Amino acid sequence: MQADSDPVTSGMIRRLLRLVLGSKGYDLPFKSDTDRNFLLLLVALMSFLAVLACAGTLTLHAMTQRWSSGLENKITIEVKAETPNGEILSPESVKLDTEKIAGMLEGNLAIKSYQVMNEVEIKKLVSPWIGEDFSFDEIPMPGLIAVELSAATPETLETLTQKVLSVAPSARIETHREWLQDILRFVKTLQGLAFLVAMIVVVTTITAISSGVRSRMAIYRNQVEILHLIGAPDPYIARQFQWHAVIVSLLGSVIGTAAGLAVATLIFHLSGKDETALIPEIGLNYGQIAAFIILPLLACLISGTTARFTVLRTLSQMP
Amino acid sequence: MIRFDKVGFRYDSGPDVLNDIDFELKAGSYHFLTGPSGAGKTSLLSLMYLGHRPTRGNLFMFNQNVGTLPRERLYEIRQKIGIVFQDFRLLGHLSAFDNVALPLRILKRPEKEIRNNVTELLDWVGLGDSKDKLPPTLSGGQQQRIAIARAVITRPKLLLADEPTGNLDDAIGFRLMNLFEQLNRMGTTIVIATHNTHIMEKYGHPRMILAHGNLTLDEHRNKAEETAQGPLTANIKTGTLKHAS
Repeated sequence: MQADSDPVTSGMIRRLLRLVLGSKGYDLPFKSDTDRNFLLLLVALMSFLAVLACAGTLTLHAMTQRWSSGLENKITIEVKAETPNGEILSPESVKLDTEKIAGMLEGNLAIKSYQVMNEVEIKKLVSPWIGEDFSFDEIPMPGLIAVELSAATPETLETLTQKVLSVAPSARIETHREWLQDILRFVKTLQGLAFLVAMIVVVTTITAISSGVRSRMAIYRNQVEILHLIGAPDPYIARQFQWHAVIVSLLGSVIGTAAGLAVATLIFHLSGKDETALIPEIGLNYGQIAAFIILPLLACLISGTTARFTVLRTLSQMP
Repeated sequence: MIRFDKVGFRYDSGPDVLNDIDFELKAGSYHFLTGPSGAGKTSLLSLMYLGHRPTRGNLFMFNQNVGTLPRERLYEIRQKIGIVFQDFRLLGHLSAFDNVALPLRILKRPEKEIRNNVTELLDWVGLGDSKDKLPPTLSGGQQQRIAIARAVITRPKLLLADEPTGNLDDAIGFRLMNLFEQLNRMGTTIVIATHNTHIMEKYGHPRMILAHGNLTLDEHRNKAEETAQGPLTANIKTGTLKHAS
């Protein structure tokens, strides 16, 4: 076969080809094909985007799991510092009511654990909104009890609410469900967008490969016709285009996947440094990173199938 | 082997190139196909190697009607045919060796067998030293010999050649004609399209003469063929050519 003057990838492609097509490599002059570099770049970029989309989806999934499992059995009991009529209660009164509720919670089988928040903890909670330079004497502060239930069933919550109100009519139970549902809905929307991006990547890849193969078939029409006339079955000719697409896609997707994983890891690493963020620590575990090996294989499968199908369809128009 | 039954052919919506061609070639026969330029020789050969399908009529190759045979099975017929194209149609990016090896690789022959057979044949056609060269770097005559080697490497049942000696000097031309004779004696059916009256006179095989899309026979040659190969039935009106044996 003709000596190859193209750079690094040509040698790799030729070696891989000899493995799959035998010692002869291609019967068609793909190695002088400039479209190959376009395909390589396209698959690399698509794989890069797919990695980011998948990494985002996996992380969002992990975050929602963590939020859901972390908060679904937790409630907060708030003893308000003012009555429904707007009358301000004294700190002592609030503290007394809080202690009464805590006493009621003690020994209750539905309660797994509870913790009455002290002034320091409450101050830390509200400081993002009203700052740290304030005294509890200036602003009426509620009493807060963080409670973990054995199981947050509607019945348990109803019973607990009645008991709490009977002890302190100004108390209120916050189940976190409302805002958690909002966040989960938002996260699901993001996951949907990531899936959409992945689908766009797949469709774009298929369209580009199909179009590339058709133009390559037009360029090599004479050579394809010779193979056809000297007795090459359609699958023999299709295999040439198919393996070319598979091998170029394999190289492109390995490059794109590696770059995507590197960027995703960097982003996760940087976001993990922000300790004040609402978002918990995020990242990909080794199992998830290993799962990304599927991506190059998937890219090869898509490329090979698309190329084969396109060639067979074009050849079917020949006599 | 080959039977044309009122076959007509035209390219797309153009005029008829071939009109109601009727003839039959028996296995092991040897014919020259001749006629003026533009008479339709290449088109007739093209129908035989299934480069095109007839516009009308029935074409039987190896006792199979190619009009009714599924397209996916036509390659089986093509693999029994060796073709020497007028313009050689070699793959310019492959070496002389790989060009000749191509039909064997399509047939999935072992690489060792391919190496031995191709090397031997290239030596025989005088291109042993040029086996690694690319066709564009070789002369027209050398390319023609590669094309002939590619056509005969599989020992095809039918050999179709379009002006196979057109670019060759007499010595190598006759050598290759002797190769065709040898293949014919081993059972290969041969049809050679040529203008070369010298070669046709020398080898004396029956001639199929095409003019204005109609096929006729050279009676004199048919008589010679009768003597050499047994009775030949020919119908000048319809262009039918048949060996009775």
